[in-house]
Amino acid sequence: MDMKSGLEELSRRREKALQMGGKANIDRQHQRGHLTARERIHKLLDPGTFSEVGILNQSDIHAMEDKAPADGNIAGFGKIDGRTVLVYAADRTVLAGVEGRVGTFAKETRATRIAVEKGYPIITMGDGGGARIPDIMGSDGLSSMTFPAEGLRYPRKTPFVATIMGDCFGGPSWMAGKADFVVMVKGCCMAVSGPRVLEIAMGEKITPEELGGWELHAEVTGQVDAFAEDDEHCLRIVREFLSYMPSNCDEEPPYVPTQDPSDRKVDEVMDILPDDLNRSYDMYKIIAAIVDDGKYFPIKPYYDQSLIICLARMNGMTVGIVANQPSFFAGAAGPGACEKAASFIVLCDSFNIPLIFLHDTPGFFVGHEAEKRKMPGRIMVWMEALALSTVPKISIVVRKSYGMAYSNMAGTNCGADFLVAWPTADISFMAPRTGVNVVYRPVIEAAENPEAERERLLKEWEYQNAPWKAAAKHLIDDVIEPRDTREFINKSLDILRGSGRGFISKKYLQAWPTVL
Amino acid sequence: MAEEIVKSPMPGIIKSIDVAVGDQVNEGDTLLILEAMKMENPIVAPVGGRISEVSISQGQSVKGGDRLIVIES
Repeated sequence: MDMKSGLEELSRRREKALQMGGKANIDRQHQRGHLTARERIHKLLDPGTFSEVGILNQSDIHAMEDKAPADGNIAGFGKIDGRTVLVYAADRTVLAGVEGRVGTFAKETRATRIAVEKGYPIITMGDGGGARIPDIMGSDGLSSMTFPAEGLRYPRKTPFVATIMGDCFGGPSWMAGKADFVVMVKGCCMAVSGPRVLEIAMGEKITPEELGGWELHAEVTGQVDAFAEDDEHCLRIVREFLSYMPSNCDEEPPYVPTQDPSDRKVDEVMDILPDDLNRSYDMYKIIAAIVDDGKYFPIKPYYDQSLIICLARMNGMTVGIVANQPSFFAGAAGPGACEKAASFIVLCDSFNIPLIFLHDTPGFFVGHEAEKRKMPGRIMVWMEALALSTVPKISIVVRKSYGMAYSNMAGTNCGADFLVAWPTADISFMAPRTGVNVVYRPVIEAAENPEAERERLLKEWEYQNAPWKAAAKHLIDDVIEPRDTREFINKSLDILRGSGRGFISKKYLQAWPTVL
Repeated sequence: MAEEIVKSPMPGIIKSIDVAVGDQVNEGDTLLILEAMKMENPIVAPVGGRISEVSISQGQSVKGGDRLIVIES
């Protein structure tokens, strides 16, 4: 082909790809309240930074060539806040966003290799129902569209983010299942198979919302980390998440300068924490008081709310916070909270983010339901993650810390570099009243005035639980004034940064699964 | 005029109720105390407005998601 006609042909092919699935399909996508794949990419990336890969792709099935511009999956590199990322976006306007062999397999495999080698985060935007028929039909079809092992051999080299921006089955759901961070647009569905398949195969009638809607993933499965009102909100959440992350596992997260003084006194925490041990409060308020500019980024906020996991910054550096939430189930972590804690420790350790623990828990959530969900195993998965993590860890006992939960929150000998308590700390193997009744029952029963004896023992027990004995034996490092907490954390982080590798971890947790 | 339905965040027992129908409340005011797992949990007004319904009574057991109070804002 001569140059002139070659250039014309190139231009024609590119133009056709940019039309995606055509005006009618684009209009339908907009009517559903969603952006197209190309609009999403442009809203996600810094303006003018998108370098597309594979725009000339099309289906490799005979007579389907013209029907699948970019083979239904738009990919390329671009920048977010000036840092390079790789993005894939399923194109719902092309054959309903299903995955083609060329667009999903050939294209993604090559681009991913570069992103991982060069150290760039990967964002995959799901909007479709799994592999395309006919691409996957027959023994040759399925064999050419397996989940390639290569794609799973880069454990947490770079942050991997998945979004669910339409009803997603198969492929996009697998991506969410292996992602470090998943955002879902409300009104969408994430599941293995769609309702139509279920009805035919199982006779089960169910709506997409019931099968894999946002509330299910928010409250019951915990498989999604954040929820968006619409596509634009979803993309803002992705950008914000990545602002806390390094580009890859060999870097520290970006430093974000702040005007917030590193030694600011946090007197307000005294008003937030009630004097009465049995009165709850909102731990988010304590976190907001301590971190830079009162700003934090919650992860899985609706899943087992007895435990908070969130990202924030201290003196401009990303930190991960694991905190009991006394206003939900008294802060007693159940099976879901154990999963949250373990997966968050893995995330932070893999991407060089120091961890801060804030204790206020009466112990683990016990009972039949919790036991049915493997509590001992889950408690120990959390402990193993904690033990294998090598980022700096600072642990602060705000109020209660009872039983095994004290260990899991990085209590004595459990991996904290600095472990301190507020004067309000109450550290014990069991809640005071329960403990007195269990341990001293014979004494109380034999007493002349059992009630008076019980109250006397309770007072003594409370004194024993105060942090002074542990501090005196150097089982904790110190007791600090609550108002000095921000300054204490910042000074500790400065010490723990050391003179060598900084916050870069040894990554013993890098190959752990993302869903625990 | 919008109706804000305050629901129970978890199972528990209504220990005390601090408001009655017709009261004006500000965002953040304590509406009632829900006792759960021996912890007293203040349930606060998510918005300011007038109390138009108190659906529970003191000592009552509630489940997570139960309707507690309605505020007209």
